[in-house]
Amino acid sequence: MSTLHPTIDHAGHADHGGHGHAPSFFFTYIWSTDHKMIGKQFLITTLLMMMVGGGLALGVRWQLARPWERMPLFGDAVFASEGGQISPEAYTMLFTMHATVMIFLVIIPVLAGAFGNFLIPLMIGADDMAFPTLNALSYWFMWPAIAFFGASFFMHGGGPAAGWTGYPLLSLLREAAPGSRDAQTCWLLGLTFVGVSSMMGSVNYMTTIINMRAPGMTLFRMPLTIWSMFITAILQAFALPVLTAAGFMMVADRLLGTCFFVPAGIVVNNAPPTVGGGQTLLWQHLFWFYSHPAVYIMLLPAMGMVSDMLACMCRKPIFGYKPMVYSMAAIAGLGFIVWGHHMFLSGMNPALGMTFMVSTIMIALPSAIKTFNWIGTIWGGRIQFNTVMLNCTAFVSMFVIGGLSGIFMAAVPVDIYIHDTYFIVAHFHYVIFGATLFGVFGGIQFWFPKMFGRMMNETVGKVHFVLTFIGFNCTFYPMHMLGIAGMPRRYADPYHFPYLEHLLPMNQFMTTAAFLMGFAQFLLLGNFFLSIFFGPKCGRNPWHANGLEWSAPSPPGHGNFDIPPVVYHGPYEYGSPVSGEKDYLMQTEYVPLAQRVALEDH
Amino acid sequence: MGRFWALFFIVTAVITFVVSWISPSMGWWFPTDGVAVFGMAQSTLGRKIDDLFYLILWIVSVTFVATNVALGYALWRGATIKPEEKVWFSHGSHSLEVIWTIVPSVILLFIALYQLDVWAAYRVRGFIKDSDGKPKQIVAVAEVTARQFEWRIRYPARGKTLKPIPQADDIYTVNELHVPTGDLVSITLRTDDVQHAFFVPELRVKQDAVPGKLIPVWFDTLVTKDYEMLCAELCGWGHYKMKAKLVAQSTEDFEAWKDKVSEEQFDDGYRKPAE
Amino acid sequence: MMFRVICPNSTSRTTRLSFQGVIVCGWALLSLGCGAGPQAEFKYREATDDLISDAERSVKSTLKDSFGTPNELVAWERFPINYGGIKGAVASAAGDKAVIVTLEGESEKIRNKTPILWLTGSVAGDKTPLVTVAGFNAETKQLTLAGVSELPNAGDRFVVGFGEDLQLGRHVYMKNCMHCHGVSGDGDGPTGQFLNPRPRDYRNGQFKFTATKSGEKATRDDLHRIVKYGIPGTYMPSFLLLGERETKVVVEYVRWLAIRGEFEKRLVAELSSDYSETSIADSVRKAEAAYAEKKKNKEEAEKPLSANKVAKAAASEFAKYSKEDLPAAIEETANLLTDAWTRAEEPDTVIVPSIHRVDDTAESRERGRLLYMSDKTKCYTCHGMTGRGDGAATEDFWPKPGTTEKFANRGLHDEWGNQLKPRNLTLGQYRGGRRPIDLFRRMYAGIKGTPMPAFGGTALKDNEIWDLVNFVMSLPYSSRQPSPAAGGNMAKLDEKPAH
Repeated sequence: MSTLHPTIDHAGHADHGGHGHAPSFFFTYIWSTDHKMIGKQFLITTLLMMMVGGGLALGVRWQLARPWERMPLFGDAVFASEGGQISPEAYTMLFTMHATVMIFLVIIPVLAGAFGNFLIPLMIGADDMAFPTLNALSYWFMWPAIAFFGASFFMHGGGPAAGWTGYPLLSLLREAAPGSRDAQTCWLLGLTFVGVSSMMGSVNYMTTIINMRAPGMTLFRMPLTIWSMFITAILQAFALPVLTAAGFMMVADRLLGTCFFVPAGIVVNNAPPTVGGGQTLLWQHLFWFYSHPAVYIMLLPAMGMVSDMLACMCRKPIFGYKPMVYSMAAIAGLGFIVWGHHMFLSGMNPALGMTFMVSTIMIALPSAIKTFNWIGTIWGGRIQFNTVMLNCTAFVSMFVIGGLSGIFMAAVPVDIYIHDTYFIVAHFHYVIFGATLFGVFGGIQFWFPKMFGRMMNETVGKVHFVLTFIGFNCTFYPMHMLGIAGMPRRYADPYHFPYLEHLLPMNQFMTTAAFLMGFAQFLLLGNFFLSIFFGPKCGRNPWHANGLEWSAPSPPGHGNFDIPPVVYHGPYEYGSPVSGEKDYLMQTEYVPLAQRVALEDH
Repeated sequence: MGRFWALFFIVTAVITFVVSWISPSMGWWFPTDGVAVFGMAQSTLGRKIDDLFYLILWIVSVTFVATNVALGYALWRGATIKPEEKVWFSHGSHSLEVIWTIVPSVILLFIALYQLDVWAAYRVRGFIKDSDGKPKQIVAVAEVTARQFEWRIRYPARGKTLKPIPQADDIYTVNELHVPTGDLVSITLRTDDVQHAFFVPELRVKQDAVPGKLIPVWFDTLVTKDYEMLCAELCGWGHYKMKAKLVAQSTEDFEAWKDKVSEEQFDDGYRKPAE
Repeated sequence: MMFRVICPNSTSRTTRLSFQGVIVCGWALLSLGCGAGPQAEFKYREATDDLISDAERSVKSTLKDSFGTPNELVAWERFPINYGGIKGAVASAAGDKAVIVTLEGESEKIRNKTPILWLTGSVAGDKTPLVTVAGFNAETKQLTLAGVSELPNAGDRFVVGFGEDLQLGRHVYMKNCMHCHGVSGDGDGPTGQFLNPRPRDYRNGQFKFTATKSGEKATRDDLHRIVKYGIPGTYMPSFLLLGERETKVVVEYVRWLAIRGEFEKRLVAELSSDYSETSIADSVRKAEAAYAEKKKNKEEAEKPLSANKVAKAAASEFAKYSKEDLPAAIEETANLLTDAWTRAEEPDTVIVPSIHRVDDTAESRERGRLLYMSDKTKCYTCHGMTGRGDGAATEDFWPKPGTTEKFANRGLHDEWGNQLKPRNLTLGQYRGGRRPIDLFRRMYAGIKGTPMPAFGGTALKDNEIWDLVNFVMSLPYSSRQPSPAAGGNMAKLDEKPAH
C-alpha cells in the first residue's frame, strides 16, 4: 500500500473551497445545504427550544410547590382575574407541552439533527451529506412543526392537554378536554412535521454512512458516534412511518369521524354518543411502536458521542469497541419488541405482558455491557477533568441510576404499583436528561471548536455543569421516593390526598432545585453565544483527538477537508506505544506494517 | 483539581445511596396509615409485589454500589496518575466481556422468570390459588364506572349476584367502594368516557379502565379500614379530583351497610306528620 | 512524554460576560415574577357596567362595602349565613384582663390572637379597640383578653373569630370550585366555558335541584347533597371526601355568593330601567323617533333633548334618588333576600309527601304511564313518547323568558340561557338524585330555572305523582327497550332484564 501520507504540508493545492464566488448571506446562513450550517441551525434552534421547554417545566414545578397560588408571569398574564392562580387544564397543558417540546423539538433534533448532521460527513471523511437539499429540508420541516406547536397554545381552550402520549379518547374527542379542541389537531400536525423532518434526516444518514466513507474507513473503523447515528437512523426509518400513520389516523378521526380509535357509545360532556367501531388500545400500540424505539433514538447517539469523548479525555482506547457496537445493535433490535411494557396495565392480553416483560428485562443487558465498557475505558486512563469529561462522567453515572431504576418497572408486578407514578418520571428524566442531555452538553463543549473555530469557556462550562448536575439530582432523585410513596403523575394538586400531604416540603425542595437548574442554562447559552465571537481561536485539533473531523480545518470550509483523508486504523488509538512522542494517533496517520500489530486494526 | 472532581462523583453516589437508605424512616416510602414503618401492602398479592420490589432493590443496590465503586476508583486513579506513568493501553478484554455479559443475563433472566407467577395470579383467572393449591373463589362485588371526574359504583342487591346490565334493585354509590375484608373480590372496571385507571396504593392494585372494555380486577384486603382510591391515568383537567375511598369491612358490616344504603336509596321521604 | 491537561486557556471576557448575562437575566425574571401580582376579584354583571357612571359607582361601592373582595371578605350580618366563630357570653370577671365565659361551640378550639367581636354590652360597637384572645383555659373556661381597655360585664355576648368559616369556605372554594364556577360564582371560571351543561351561575340565587317548594330557595341540605354526591351526567363531580367541615363551610360560601349575586342583580334591576346607558339611549331614540314621526305628519312638536342633556338629567336625578330612595331600595332588597333564604331553612318549606310511595306494581306503573301520556301533565311533549328526551317541544323555537325574541337554537332553554335537553329517562341517570323522594320532589316542585313545571299540590295529587314516579323509575329496566345504561353494545346481553 503505497499511499501518500497526507500531512498539512500537502495542503496547499487541495483547498477544496475553490468556488468562484462567495455565496450570499442568505445562502450561507439561511438556505444553506452545507451539512455544517444545517447542524448549527439545528443546534441553535434546539438550544432555544430547550429554554422554552424548561420554562414550561418550571411552571409545572411551581404548581407542585405552591398549588393554587399565584404563578408569576404565566398566571399573572392569563389568569389575572383569578389572582394569577392557574386553572387545572393549564397545568395539563404545561406538562404536555413540556414533554412535547423537550422530546420532539430538543432531544431528537439535537442528537440526530445537530450532531448527526455536523459530525457524520466529518467523521467518515465525506465532503457533505449524500442528499444536501434533503438535509436542508429536514431542518426547514422543523419550522412548521414549531409553528403548529406554538399555534396550539393560542387555540380556544389552550394548548393540547392529553399528555405527550396523546392517548385517545382524551386527545381524540373534542369535548373531552379544553385542550382537545383545535389545539390537539395542531399538535398532531406538528408531530407529523417533526416525523417527516426526522425521516428525511434518517434516509440521508443511512445513505451517507453506507456510501460516502473515506478510503480505508471500514465499518469497524468508524467512530462509535457514527455507529450510533447509523443505528438510530435505521430505527427511525422503520419506526417513524408507524407514528405518522397513527397520527394521520387520529387526525382523520378528529376531522373526518373515521373512528379508528373510538369505541361505540361513548358520551363525553353530553355530546352525541360516538359511532364507534374502533379501539383505543390500537393508538397505544402504534404510538409506542414508534415511541419506544424513540427512547433509544433519544439515547443511542449520546451513547456514541460519549464513547468518543471518554476515550479522548481518558487518553486511552475505548474498551471493547466491538461489544459496544453489538450492544447498540442489540438495543436497537430489542427496542422494537418491548413497546408493550408501556401498556402492562392497559388491559391487553396478560400473556402478551409476560413476553414484553422478558424482552424488556433483557434489554437491560446491552445497556449494562455498555456501562461496564465505559468504566473499562475510564479505568487506568489519564483523565483530563475538563467540562467535556465532567459531562461525560455525569452521563455514565446518571445512566447507571436511570438504567437500574428501569429494572423495577420492567418487572410487571412491580410496575403494577409504580406505573404512572413519579417513579416513572424519575426514571425517564434520569435517562433523557441525566444521560442524554449531559452527553449533549459535553458534545457541545467538545465539538464547538470544530463548529466555530473557537473554544468555549472552561470556567463557565464547569460552573454550568456543577449547577446543572446538583440541580438535576436534587430535582429528580427525590421523584423516586415520590413514586414509591404512590404519588401519581400529572396531578395538578396531589396534596388533597391525605397520604401525599407530607410530600409537599419535598416537592418545594425539588422546585427550588429545578429553578437553580433552569437558571444555570443561561450560563450555557451565554457561554455558547459569546464564545462564537469571543472565544479563543483554536487549531485543527485542540483536544488531540484521533477522529477524521480533527484533521479538517476549524471551522472546516465548504467541502470539509483540504486534504482528502485516507484512513489507516480505528479512531481510538490513544496512548499507543507506536505513536511516538504524542499520545494520540490520528486516523489519517500511517503506521508502518511492522508497528501496526500493536494496534487493534478493526 | 482532578481529585476534587473524582470526589465530587463519589460523594454524589454516596449521598444518593444514603438518601435512599434513610427514605423509609423519613416517610418517603410506601404509603402507610402510620403503623408500619415500611408501609407494607395490605393485600396478599400486594405483599408479593413488595417482596419482589425488595428483591429487585437488593439486586439493584448491590449493582449500584459495585458500579459506583468501580467508577469512583477509576476516576480517582485517573486523577492521580503521575505524568511519567503510562495509561493502560487496552482495547478490551474478551474474557471480561464474556463475564459481564453472562452474569447480568443470568440475573436478569432470573428476575424475569421469578415474577411470572405473581403477574399470572394478578391477571389470569385460576392462577390465584388457596394454600391447598386449588384456584381461589373470586366474588364479584361491584361494577366500578370511572367518569370525568368521579367513580360511580353499582352493587347487586343483597343476596343477588352482579349482573352485566343494571337491575332495578341495584345499589349505587359514588366515590365509595365497599368490599368485605379477606375475601378475594373482583370489580368490573369500565369507563363512561375517556381512559382512567383504578389505583389503590396500599393494596398495590392498579388497572386502566379502557373505553369500550369491561375489565375484571381482583384483590383482597387484609385489614379492615379505609383505603385511598384514585385515578392513575391522565383523564383530563380534573384528573387529580378523582378522590375516592375503598372501605374494607367485615362481611356482616358489608351486608348491613348494603341494607342501609338500599334503604336510603329507596327512601320515599314520607315522615309521620308531627302531632 | 509530557502531557498537559487539555483545557485551553479561556479569555476572561467570555467568563465575565456570561456571568453578567446570567445575573441580568435572572434579575429581570425575578423582578418580573416577584412583583405584586394581580388580585382575585369579583366580577360585576354586564348590567352593572351598563349603568350610568354615578349609579355604577354607587352600586359597586355598595357591593364592595357590603361583601368585600375575595381576599377581604365582608360579612353582612343580617343575612342567614353562618359566618363562623364561637359564640359565647361572659359569666363573670376573673382578674383585670380575664373573664369566665360560657361558650356555645366546642371550646378547645379557641386559638390565641383570634379577634373577639362584642355583640352586646358597653364594649360593643365600633369605637372600642380590637380585642383578641390572649389565652384560654378549656377547663376553667377562663378567657384572657388582650387589648382590652375596660372589662365587659357579665351577660355580654361575643363571638370569637367571627367570619372564620366564611374564610375557610372561600379557601375551599378557590381550590376546588372556582375553576368552573368562577371567583364570583357566575359559572364562568376558566374551565367553565368548556363544560356542557354550563356550571351553575349562583348569582340568580337559584339552584335547580332542591327539596323545597316551588319558588323557594335551596336549603343547606340540598347544596350539601350536591357537593357530596355530585350531579351524575354533568361535570359536577362528587366531593364525598372533602371533609364534613369543608363541605359545610363551602356550602355557606356558595350561599353567600348567591346572596351577593342576587343582591347585585336585584339592585341593578331596580336602577337599570332609569339609569342605564341602554335605557337612556332607548329613551333618546324613542323621543327622536316620535319627533320625526310628528315632523313627518307636520304636527307641532318639541325638539327632544340631546343625548348629552338626557344623560345629565339622569345623572342629577340619580343624585337625588341615591340620597332619598337608594338606601331604602338596598334595605328592601336585603330584607327580601334575608326572608327568602331564612324561609328555605324552615321545615314547612321542604316538600314531604303526604303518603308513602304507592306500591310499585304494574297497575301503578300503568296509571303512571297514562298520566305521562295525558294532557294534564304533557310529559311526553318534552320527554318524548318513549322517555328518551326527544319530545316534540325539543324541535320548536322558544322565546326568551320575558321577551318575544326567540332563541337562535331549537329546543328548550333554561333561565340562564343555556340550551337544555329534557332528561332521557331510559338511562337511569337522575341528576337531582335517584331516591324516589328526589323524583317526587322534581315532579312536585319542578326543576327551578328550567321549563320542567311544578305539578305538586294543584295539578297532581301525591298518589298520582307516586304513580308517575313508579312509571318513570321503571323505564330504564323496561323490556320494551334495550338499556343504554348497560354500556351500549359493550355488555353482553346474556341476562334478560329483570322486568
